[in-house]
Amino acid sequence: MRRFSLFVLALVWAAPLTAQEVTVATWGGAYEAAQRRAILEPYAETTGRAVATVQYDGSVAALRDRAGAEGWDVIDMLADQARAACDAGLLLRLDAGAILGPGAEADFSLRAPTPCGIAQNVYARVLAYDERAFPGVKPTRIEDFFDPVRFPGPRAVQRGPDGILEWALMAEGVPPEQVYGLLSTDRGLRLAFRRLDAIRDEIVWWDDPAEPARMLAEGRAVMAAGFNGRFFDVAAQGGAPVDIVWDGRIIGTEVWAIPAQTDAPEAARDFLAHALRPSSMARLSELIPYGPARRSAFARIGLNPESGVPMRAHLPNAPQHGGRALIRDAAWYANTRDLRQRRFQAWLEGGG
Amino acid sequence: MTAAPDTPSPARPLARVVILTATALGVGTAASFAAIAFVELVSLLNSALLVAPRARVQWEKLPWLVTAATLLVPSLGGLAVGLIHRYLSPERRPLGPPDVIRAVQFHRPLPDVRSGLVSTVTAVLSLGCGASVGQYGPMVYMGALFGGVAQRLRARVPNLGGIAMSCGVAAAIATAFNAPIAGLVFAHEVVLRHYATQAFAPVTVASVTGYVIANVIFERPALFLVDFAGVAHGHEFALFAVLGVLVALAAIGFMRLVLACGPWMARRVAVPALRPAVAGLAVGMTALALPDVLGIGTETLRFATIEGAFGQTELLVLIVAKIVLTALCVGAGFSGGVFSPALLIGSLIGALFWMLASGAGGVPTSGVAVYAIGAMMAFASAVIGAPLTCILIVFELTRNYDITIAAMVAVVFSNLVSHRLFGRSLFDIQLARRGMDFSRGRDRAHLAALPVRDLLSDAAVVMRPGDSAAQVDARLARAGWRQAFVLDGDGRLAGVYSPSEGVCPAGLQFEEDTSLADAMERMRGFVGDAVPVVTREGGRYLGAVSEADIVAAWLDHAARIREEENAAL
Repeated sequence: MRRFSLFVLALVWAAPLTAQEVTVATWGGAYEAAQRRAILEPYAETTGRAVATVQYDGSVAALRDRAGAEGWDVIDMLADQARAACDAGLLLRLDAGAILGPGAEADFSLRAPTPCGIAQNVYARVLAYDERAFPGVKPTRIEDFFDPVRFPGPRAVQRGPDGILEWALMAEGVPPEQVYGLLSTDRGLRLAFRRLDAIRDEIVWWDDPAEPARMLAEGRAVMAAGFNGRFFDVAAQGGAPVDIVWDGRIIGTEVWAIPAQTDAPEAARDFLAHALRPSSMARLSELIPYGPARRSAFARIGLNPESGVPMRAHLPNAPQHGGRALIRDAAWYANTRDLRQRRFQAWLEGGG
Repeated sequence: MTAAPDTPSPARPLARVVILTATALGVGTAASFAAIAFVELVSLLNSALLVAPRARVQWEKLPWLVTAATLLVPSLGGLAVGLIHRYLSPERRPLGPPDVIRAVQFHRPLPDVRSGLVSTVTAVLSLGCGASVGQYGPMVYMGALFGGVAQRLRARVPNLGGIAMSCGVAAAIATAFNAPIAGLVFAHEVVLRHYATQAFAPVTVASVTGYVIANVIFERPALFLVDFAGVAHGHEFALFAVLGVLVALAAIGFMRLVLACGPWMARRVAVPALRPAVAGLAVGMTALALPDVLGIGTETLRFATIEGAFGQTELLVLIVAKIVLTALCVGAGFSGGVFSPALLIGSLIGALFWMLASGAGGVPTSGVAVYAIGAMMAFASAVIGAPLTCILIVFELTRNYDITIAAMVAVVFSNLVSHRLFGRSLFDIQLARRGMDFSRGRDRAHLAALPVRDLLSDAAVVMRPGDSAAQVDARLARAGWRQAFVLDGDGRLAGVYSPSEGVCPAGLQFEEDTSLADAMERMRGFVGDAVPVVTREGGRYLGAVSEADIVAAWLDHAARIREEENAAL
């Protein structure tokens, strides 16, 4: 009964808006495919509103340059990017209570660090390895990534300071709670780059997030730093025996936001209300291993419709993973980007 | 001031159990929440005022802002602390563990609540502004403040005041360190200095209350987790012992400097309210080149356990800077303790020692972490005089058995040396300078703090100029005394008169500041009714104390201490 009335309400609200199309800016690839199936298509079906997608590279610059011209209405962003974009006035401030309904905010296990975004899912930067490269003892800890003697072979690393510096300090025995505090000092950065020196000659760089999984599959690397969803895909599609080491995972938050230049803010808010339901989140997590931001969504997650894999075990925020987990500090990330980039570039050029 | 306590008859055992438990729970809960609020407030201030590295680095694009904050925040913070002490605190100084020890040991109330609250606020301010002082001293005092409130309830339970204050102390430490066993032992080892069941039980309850609040309600992680597989070589235990001895010497230097800095600052800066500002400026200027000296130094503490985080000279400079700045800040009147800086200085010394032993000395070792942690606790235990507490803190902070065993060796050797060459702790030496000397035991300290002046009796017979021998004889006979004290025209003691021997010089006399302990020593072999008490300046007669009163006072005190130390309920 209640569901029916909600449906009617949605129709009534949607009626004057149906003409409008909602344009969602997102990441492309397997992620977008899953998003289409889990969120965009059901939304289009229930509201009768057309949903179009555009791909972007996740940067604030892209939002600034393209949102107006291409008519973006909704954007899928990393939390720290959303924070920076919010500060720059590129996003609308959101009233989460009004969009989600009363009481729903308490259901979120993670919060967006910005008033312009609402947390939707979590992903993790993880260490993955090729089973074929280590028939005997396998890597189990983040320390192993920096140990080319026990675990020889090329390592795939993103060309940039994100994630790898945190790992370098965790490999020094720094507990996750202290990683960002220590990385905030010159001494901490020096230590991290010193640790990186140990594998300098073993690193193969990647720029495209799809690359590390491919590198493992093609044997160009034996270990790789990358995003858990990509590694899962390669393994699930039978591409390569890739396994994930959950120790040292860096958990990041993905948020939904609305560009300030949207010409359909009401439709955008309506879309967010749909996308942020526990059922939508659970559907997405069944298709791709990104964990839901809402606690109540966890209970709804079942098998992957294609492979029949039970998906709950593959989510970065699944409670059963042991080892260390670092929650990415989005504010710190946003405010230290230049410094880290500068130091990283200096290290790349051999300065250290 | 209330008159001498007219001890009401104690409540019934069941009532006492209820009162003690309720006190433990109430004081423990309050102290624990307050400790959490204290830590959170300091961390909030550290972030807002760009003291914490994590906040500083995010403003890296505006270097002038970081520089200005580094110089101004500690200086202006110091100025505020100085002014608040000057105008709002009746005591006009920060309060800390020595004041708690004094109150508990001598069954006195704490200094007034207002001074205590002001001291707590200035401690938050001092720490929040990055002064080189510790947070645990103020937290101990804050815990005791809640105990002091319970003491005022005048429930009819003997020793309730001391127990309630110890409950507050234990809960604060248990919460702040997330270490309930250490909190319990600290309260006994440093504050109560005995282990009577009557105190042990409620203090344990308070300590566990603190732990439950910190762990179950707020889910705070262990403070200092380290990965350590165990001591790899047997000879390292000898190194730990040597490390303990060296650390003790450094700790003695540190404590002497802390004690000397107060008077030194007083000579240099005439206006007391300005002293913390001067010390703050010194901290700020040093921090421009050496940001590690700012504040509590959580990050630096962690770096000390990482191999190669510091160069050798860098370590040496940092150790000296931290010692000098801490002494300066404490001496200048910043509100804060010495424990956290002691942890930091100790761990840096341990890292330096490890570097020399394994690098220059070529001795195989099991890594820097165990040396840093061993030295950290060895230094701290010499400063606060609590070896057991420090060993347990290592255990509870690191949750690592192997490190605890190693640290234990360093701790006892350090304590041995510092106790022998300096004194039991910085607190005890500070108290001794205020006339409360615990170096020869609690009982002696109690008796040493009781002036015989309090036992003066007006019953003694005096012989003034003009009194005839017959008059005095009659008065003596009436009073039942055998001696009268002869005074001259100015009221000075001139001798002792007895009917049989006439006027003789007085064999034994006490001064107005003679303590009961001294009196007992000096009365060895004394024969007579009473001992005259005179002023040290001018020898004016004040009265006399009878031998019987001195012995009775001594017996009463011994009985009271015995009862306190053996009370079951």
